[in-house]
Amino acid sequence: MMAGIAVGIATLAVLSSIGESTRRETLKRLRNMLGTTDTIIVRPGGSTRGMVSVASTPPTLKPEDANAIASVAGVKQVAMLINGFNIDLAYRGKHAVTGVFGVSRNWLELRGDQMGSGSFFTDLEELGLARVAVIGEDVRVALFPDEDPRGKTIRINDVPFEVIGILGVRGAGPSGGSLDNVVLIPLSTAKRRLFNRDFLTMIIAQLDDPLQSDAVTASITLLLRNRHHLDPVSLADFNVTNPRAVMARLSRIGSTLAKVLVGAALIVLLISGVVIASLMTLGVAERRREIGLRRAVGARRADIRTQFLLECLILSGWGGVLGTTVGLVGANLAAAWQRLPLMFSWSVLILSAAVSIAIGLISGLLPAWRAARVDPVEALRG
Amino acid sequence: MISVHIEVDHLSKIHKRGDGEDVVALDDITFRIASGEFVAIRGASGSGKSSLLSILGCLDRQTSGVYLLGGIKVSGLADAELSSIRSTQIGFVFQAFNLLSRTTALENVELPMIYGSASVDREKCASALTRVGLGARLNHYPTELSGGEQQRVAIARALINDPALILADEPTGNLDEASGAEIMALLVSLHREGRTVVLVTHDKVTASHASRVITLNKGQVISDVLVSRNLHAKPA
Repeated sequence: MMAGIAVGIATLAVLSSIGESTRRETLKRLRNMLGTTDTIIVRPGGSTRGMVSVASTPPTLKPEDANAIASVAGVKQVAMLINGFNIDLAYRGKHAVTGVFGVSRNWLELRGDQMGSGSFFTDLEELGLARVAVIGEDVRVALFPDEDPRGKTIRINDVPFEVIGILGVRGAGPSGGSLDNVVLIPLSTAKRRLFNRDFLTMIIAQLDDPLQSDAVTASITLLLRNRHHLDPVSLADFNVTNPRAVMARLSRIGSTLAKVLVGAALIVLLISGVVIASLMTLGVAERRREIGLRRAVGARRADIRTQFLLECLILSGWGGVLGTTVGLVGANLAAAWQRLPLMFSWSVLILSAAVSIAIGLISGLLPAWRAARVDPVEALRG
Repeated sequence: MISVHIEVDHLSKIHKRGDGEDVVALDDITFRIASGEFVAIRGASGSGKSSLLSILGCLDRQTSGVYLLGGIKVSGLADAELSSIRSTQIGFVFQAFNLLSRTTALENVELPMIYGSASVDREKCASALTRVGLGARLNHYPTELSGGEQQRVAIARALINDPALILADEPTGNLDEASGAEIMALLVSLHREGRTVVLVTHDKVTASHASRVITLNKGQVISDVLVSRNLHAKPA
């Protein structure tokens, strides 16, 4: 009986905390990758998913496109990116392979990222194609395990850059990979001195009003189709992502999943409750003599009722305690295995407690009622 | 002055059987028991003596007639009030002991205190067990005790709330002669303390401890005899 409740509550606790954890973490990773949610992302290629590297990017997005998007109604400002992955870094015999992002000055602001230490590059450095770099935490750990990177010269694809700052830690992206294995350099420097390309891998448009994202997404799409001289039947050679829409969809999927899982756990608990109710009701028949005796020594019907109700409550209560413990430990093991953050949620704890108390009370009603109705004379005669 | 403890007036009890037939268990019984009396109720099985004891013990209600316990009309009382009377004014001793098997002797004796008005007093329970000669077995479980010892635990339990009335239903029925004699000696000592003792038995020897024997047959009183009235009575 107790085991049934324990299993049910454990399932409930595991499922609801994993569901909750997954949902939160998905949103968090998405936010990590996309930055602030009041932005629209434009990438080259018709069906690009995720990040692309400059080497494999169709040359369809120009800085001029970005400038045009900047004057679309509802767009506050635009950031540009040209990036490559798997770029070799070297510093005094230490090596790392990383993504290098050539970004416009407003990149940090649009992404909502923070500097860890040092400074970001200036307009002057951007204009002057300065070889300056801001490195992510993973890069710092790989190249500068025990010294201050600021002022040091690293080589990016054999081109020397001075490290001027370190980014704040960002954590994991949607697929679980680190977002800190990155080097940021000025967009102009990336175009002329590193990649020798003039097209972009991403344009980020920040909106005046995040609620207008659908309308602005449509305006940008129309603008780029015109600029790229696409006739109405052609597929686009770029794609526009509306992060608000993506997030809304993901969080909806997450919560639907959580609901289904919690529903399954509730069915397990319902069955356990029925089992408790029936076994305890059988127990009333076996314990008629005890009930008769208690009545003879002064127990009121209400005392007997309370006793049986309490026994059911204690039974399912212990099941709940056991289940919650197992569940939370299990959820955290599963979370560790899935590389999700450990979690302890009061809502799960309160839910478990409420559900086990409710099951104890409801399943105790019938046995308690039966027990209180036992005729002491009959019971003591047997 | 002798006060009346139990007054039964034209009391009848009719049981409904499963097949709808009525069975007359008690048929128009009338008697009085004074405070401090030791009364044996005798009769063959089916004579109605157990039905009478259930009504006297406030566990069952009569079909008609009046039952006054200590001057209070019991038939008009609600369940909670009857329970309160059972817990404070009546001590039961059963043929089958009826101890809770998963609790110790001490905890069994505590039971009426849980339902009584006073709070549980372990010391008092221990001294009650000591009084019935089980001071060394407080924490034994019923299965670790002999029949006579179990019945002594039951007597300690019956005494714990200091009731004026002891109702014993064949208390020696499951015991050997020696244990039975010890139990009867305990009941006699309760009577000597001034308690009213009503003993139901079919056994003539057991009944002989009482100072009055009421004999039932087919639900009616067929004899009501004072025997050796001064043998166990309190000194005047």
